[in-house]
Amino acid sequence: MAETLLALQKVTKRFDEVTALAPTSLEVAEGSFVAIVGPSGCGKSTLFNVIAGLLEPDEGEVRLGDRVVNGATGHVGYMLQKDLLVPWRTVEDNITMVARLTRRVRREDREEARRIATQYGLGDYLRHYPSALSGGMRQRVAFMRTLVTHQDLLLLDEPFGALDAQTRLEMQQWLLQVWRESGRTVLFITHDVDESLFLSDRVLVMSPRPGRVVADIANPLDRPRTMETLLDARFVELKGRIMHLLHGGAP
Amino acid sequence: MRLRSVSVALAGVLGLSSMIGLAGPAQAAAKTTTITFAYDFPGPDFELTPLVVAQKLGYFSAAGLKVNVVFPPDTSTTTKMLTTGKAQIGFLTTTDMGVAINAGAPILSVANYSMRNNWALFAKPGSGVTAANLKTRLKGKRIFSYGDTWTEAMLPFVLRHAGLSTSQVKVITAPTGNDLNYLLAGKVDFSTSTTNYEIPGFVGSGTKGKLVQILGTAVGAPDVPIWVYAVTRGYAATHGATVKAFLSALKRATVWAAKNPVAAAADFTAAYPKSGYTPAYNKMGWQLTVPFLTNAQGQYFVQTNAQWTTLATALKSIKLISSVPAASSYYTNKFLP
Amino acid sequence: MRNVLIPIVSLVVVGLLWQAIVVLFHVAPYVAPRPLQAIQAVTQNWSSLWPLTLGTIRETIYGFFTGAGLGVGLGVIMAKVPVLQRSVYPVLVTSQAVPIIALASPLVLIFGFSVVVMVIIVAWIVFFPVTVNVVDGLSHVDQDFLNLARVYGASRWRTFVHIEVPATASPLFSGLKIGATYAVTGAVIGELAASSGTSLALYQEHANTNLNAAGVYGTTLLMTVIGISWFLLVVLAEVALTPWQRRSVARRYPWSRRG
Repeated sequence: MAETLLALQKVTKRFDEVTALAPTSLEVAEGSFVAIVGPSGCGKSTLFNVIAGLLEPDEGEVRLGDRVVNGATGHVGYMLQKDLLVPWRTVEDNITMVARLTRRVRREDREEARRIATQYGLGDYLRHYPSALSGGMRQRVAFMRTLVTHQDLLLLDEPFGALDAQTRLEMQQWLLQVWRESGRTVLFITHDVDESLFLSDRVLVMSPRPGRVVADIANPLDRPRTMETLLDARFVELKGRIMHLLHGGAP
Repeated sequence: MRLRSVSVALAGVLGLSSMIGLAGPAQAAAKTTTITFAYDFPGPDFELTPLVVAQKLGYFSAAGLKVNVVFPPDTSTTTKMLTTGKAQIGFLTTTDMGVAINAGAPILSVANYSMRNNWALFAKPGSGVTAANLKTRLKGKRIFSYGDTWTEAMLPFVLRHAGLSTSQVKVITAPTGNDLNYLLAGKVDFSTSTTNYEIPGFVGSGTKGKLVQILGTAVGAPDVPIWVYAVTRGYAATHGATVKAFLSALKRATVWAAKNPVAAAADFTAAYPKSGYTPAYNKMGWQLTVPFLTNAQGQYFVQTNAQWTTLATALKSIKLISSVPAASSYYTNKFLP
Repeated sequence: MRNVLIPIVSLVVVGLLWQAIVVLFHVAPYVAPRPLQAIQAVTQNWSSLWPLTLGTIRETIYGFFTGAGLGVGLGVIMAKVPVLQRSVYPVLVTSQAVPIIALASPLVLIFGFSVVVMVIIVAWIVFFPVTVNVVDGLSHVDQDFLNLARVYGASRWRTFVHIEVPATASPLFSGLKIGATYAVTGAVIGELAASSGTSLALYQEHANTNLNAAGVYGTTLLMTVIGISWFLLVVLAEVALTPWQRRSVARRYPWSRRG
C-alpha cells in the first residue's frame, strides 16, 4: 500500500453565506491518479484552489505529506483548461516560466525543458511562439511547464476541456504515458465521465449546494488502457453508476 | 500685425454670435447694398467703435448700406479675405499693406484710420526709464514682441537711435503670450505695443504706480499712421460709389465718436457685450485712440505720399520688402468724403 | 515592398491634387503655394531652417520621454493603488480638457522663455494616452496568469516583471503612438509661447505675417515630417521589442539564451 500524499480533514470553504465546499475529508495515495467529476458549481475548483493554497479553508486542515499547508502556496503543480502560455515567450521559455517567476532560470532548467520537449515530440518547436502552435500542442507545453516544477502533486483542472474529441483522446493517452513515466500523483477535474474512467484509479463524484463528495469509486479497469477499455463491460457499468449519481441519484 | 493679446480675442470670439447681422435701424430702403467688413484681429475691440456708431446711428443704412463685420482666424488673414472675396472692405495695418503689395496682392488703402504712430516701449512702474536715458537702459535687456511686423519695423529705429545693434538686446517673440503679464512678472524688461491698448490693460490689472511709457516717435521711430481701411483694386474699380458711401458714413461716425468718446465707447460695449473686455477698458482705450485720429490740420482719413514712402523705406531697410514702390501703388484719396 | 509603395503613391496623389487645385482655380501664391514651391521654401532656406528643426526635434524628444516616463510611472501606481486610480483619474481627464494655449502663458510666468516650457507642454500631451493605456493594460491582465504565479509562490515583483509588464506592452505602445503623433504639435504650441529668440514655429509665424505662403506651407511640411518620423520610430521600437506579435519563431539573439 502506497503512502498517503495528500490528506484533507473536514475542509470547509464559504463565500459570504454560501457554502462552496461542505466539510470534506479525503486521502490521496502517492503515485495515484484520482479523477473528480461533478456538474458546474459543485465546488471542484474551490477544492482545487484550497489545495493549491489560493484559498484558505474556513475550517479543517490540508495536509501534504507531514506538513499542514492551509493557505500556503508553492507546493503543487497546477494546470487549467486555459493553457496560460505567455504569448511573448517561446515554447522553451514558457516551459521554464515557473523557474523565471520564482528564482533565476538556470542552465539546467533550459536543458531539462529542451530534453522534455524533445522527448514528447515538441523538439522542433522550442523557438516557436505559442501563437504558432495548435491547441493540443499548447496544452502539451502547458503540461510540460507543470512537470518541470518537480512538484509531487499535480492539480489538473479540465486541461483538455477545450480540445476537439480526436486531439483529446491523443492527449489522454499521452498524459497516461507521462504519468506512468514520471510517477507523480494526479488530481484531475473533469465533467466528462468517460475521461474520468479512462484515466483514473479512483473517481470522486461531487454534487452542488453545498459542494461535497457524494461517492468515492474505485476504478478497477486494467492498465494500460486503450480504445478497447471504452467497450469493457465494467467501464459501461461504472459509467452508468456515475451518471446516475450526477443526476441526483442515491449512492 | 498684432499689438494686443490673443487670449482675450479668443474669449471674444465666443461672443461673436451676438453680433451676426448687427445693423442700423431697419430701413425699408429699396436698394440696400450688403458689404462684409473684415477686422484685423480675431475678436472685436474698441477700435471698431466708429463702425459700431455708424451702425447704431443709422449712418450706414441712410447711405443704403448693410455692413456685416467678420473676424479673421488670425492676424495675417485679412488681406487674403479681401483678395479671395470673403470680405469687401478690410481693416489693416500699414505694415500689412506694405507686405501685401510686396507679395503682389492687388489691394488699395482708401483711408487712414489713425494719423499718427502711438507705438511705444513700456517698462514697469518705477523703473525710471526715460527717452533720454533709454540708450544706457536698453542694452542687454529683454524686449517683448508679439512677432508683429509693426514692432519688427519700429524696433530697428529705436535701436539705431540708442546706438545699439540687434545683438545687444534680446528680443523675445511670443505670438500667443501676454506682454503685460510678462512685463509685470519681470519675465521681460520692456514690452512693445500701442498706447491705446497697453495703458488700459495696465490700469485694468490693478497694479500700483504709473506704467513707464517711451513713445516710439520720441526715440527715432517715424511718425506714420498704423491702421488703414483697404479694398481690392478690382472692388475699387467696380464699386467706387459703395466705397465712397461707406467712408462717408464712417467719417460722420468717427467725428461723432471723437466728440462723444464716453457714449461711443458705451455703444461699442453694448454691441459687443461678450468681447472679453470691461466697459472701463473700452472707454479708456477709445479715449486714448481719439487724439491719434486726426493730423496736424485736424483732418480725418487723409493719406499722404510721405507716409507711405517713409513706411516702405523702413520696411525695406529691415528686408521685410524687396523694393520701395511708388506711393500710389499703396493708396488713393479719391474715395474720401 | 508594397507596404512602402502604397503610402508613397498616396502621398504623390495628394501632392498632385494640391497642384491641380492651385493651378485650376488660379490661387494666388500668397494665398496658397504649389507643392514644389513649398518644398523649395524649405530647401532654399535649409541653412536657417535646419538648426530650428533640430531645436523642435530636441523639444519633441525631451518632452516625449518625460511624458512617457511620467505616464508609465503614474499608470503603474494608479493600477496598483485603486484609491489613487479613483482620485487621480478625474484630475488627469481635467488636465487634458485645459486648452494648451491657456496653459502656455502661466508656464512662461513660472519658467520664463525657456525650453522647459516646450518640454512640459509636450509631456502634458504625451503622458495622458500612455497613463490611460498602462492603467487599462495592467488592470486587464488575465487573473488566471496571476493565480498561476501565486500557486507557485512567485513574488509580486517577479510577477510584475515577467507577467504584468509584458502583458501591457501592446496597450503601452498604442499610447506611445498616440503621444508621438501629437508631440510635435505640443512643441510648436510651446515655441509660439516660450521661444527665447528663434524657433521653427516663430519662423512660420513670420512667414505668415509676411504673406509668405510658401514658407508657411513649407514649415508645416517640415513639422509634419518630424511628427511622422517620430511616430514611425515608435512603431519600429514596437516591432523590435514585441517580436511575438508578428513572428511565429523567435530570432536567435545573442542574449536570448539567458533567463
